[in-house]
Amino acid sequence: MRRLLGRRTCVAIAALLTAAGPADAHIVAARLGDFYAGALHPLTDLQDLVLWTALGLLAGSLGAAQGRWLVLVLPLGLLAGLFLGPVFGAGALGPVANAGMMVGLGLLLAAGIHIGTAPLCAIALGLALVRGAVNADGIGPETNRLLFAAGLACAGYAAITLTMALTLAFRRPDAGPSTAWRGIAIRACGSWIAAIGLMMGGFALAS
Amino acid sequence: MRGTVPTLPHRRLARVPLLIALLTLTDVAVAHDQVGVPGGLASGFLHPLTGLDHLVAMVAVGLWGAQLGAPAIWVLPITFPLVMAFGGVLGVLGVPLPMPEVVIALSALVLGAVVAARLRLPFAAAAVVVGMFAIFHGHAHGTELPSAANPLSFGVGFVVATGLLHLCGIAIGTLSRSPAGGRVIQGLGVAIAALGCYFLLASLGGMR
Repeated sequence: MRRLLGRRTCVAIAALLTAAGPADAHIVAARLGDFYAGALHPLTDLQDLVLWTALGLLAGSLGAAQGRWLVLVLPLGLLAGLFLGPVFGAGALGPVANAGMMVGLGLLLAAGIHIGTAPLCAIALGLALVRGAVNADGIGPETNRLLFAAGLACAGYAAITLTMALTLAFRRPDAGPSTAWRGIAIRACGSWIAAIGLMMGGFALAS
Repeated sequence: MRGTVPTLPHRRLARVPLLIALLTLTDVAVAHDQVGVPGGLASGFLHPLTGLDHLVAMVAVGLWGAQLGAPAIWVLPITFPLVMAFGGVLGVLGVPLPMPEVVIALSALVLGAVVAARLRLPFAAAAVVVGMFAIFHGHAHGTELPSAANPLSFGVGFVVATGLLHLCGIAIGTLSRSPAGGRVIQGLGVAIAALGCYFLLASLGGMR
């Protein structure tokens, strides 16, 4: 009996092993892979990470009423940049332009300047158009553009929403003077971002 | 019965193919690889931490800010990285500054001395002193930028490390709220000034 069970088990294991197909745990090889390629493409670039974080910090520090428009403006701007960028050749915008955006956003944050909703949306739209155009470089000849664009827009939406929400939750402007240091910490982050942009611009000009 | 078991020299010989296989399968060690984004981050982050003259000056700036209190304690971490990055850009672009090593050594001496003396300069004067030293420190970092490093990630690592050093100084400086803690901070100032003296003598000796 025991020997019979052993044989059956061996046959079952052999059948399972021969019937096993490739694991699609990372479905980059499947059709939806282009969605993930679009979502991950900006997250693998420090320029996107720094700029999106800076924008989220700025919008979050200005308050929910002004920042909430960016939940729509950034993803739509990324989509527009992705499709219009290759037409106008905007993907060739160099690191000096990105460094300039970092310095601008960082100085706005560091100085604690209170800007209105319209200028904030204009800044976000400009940044999104440029970064969308730069991310168009990730589209290959066999890439499904629609899926890639959907992934990029979702990544932009998630990144800006989370950064703004975290900044708002951290800042707690209504909690009184005991939390004033939180606003200073956010402004210090702005100064760091501006300093990073300044150094990057210097390196770009020198090379 | 046991004649087939290899003797000791044979057992050792039997391991030779395994050793050869292990040696041929090994890849190049990249423990000190400073290329690309990780290399830039690592070299940028370590740059301010590995030079003792820079490190003590950054901590001294934080200590002095904490001694001076508001607004210096919060203006400092906001403005210092910017001024230092400006100096870094000057260094990268090859703009020369007079006697950078001497001024950097002098910065440790002066900043250590003002912390030790608990000197309360007007805020504008303190900002000018710290800003001037920040330009020289940034310049030194900019000129020593590794060419293979990713510029953006180097900048991120460099600015974050500098900011953390200031925060360290400010955190230690909060000890000055108590009389005994204040004495400890002043003692640290004396130690930093002594190190500054050493760096100054070393840099003047190197100039000869």
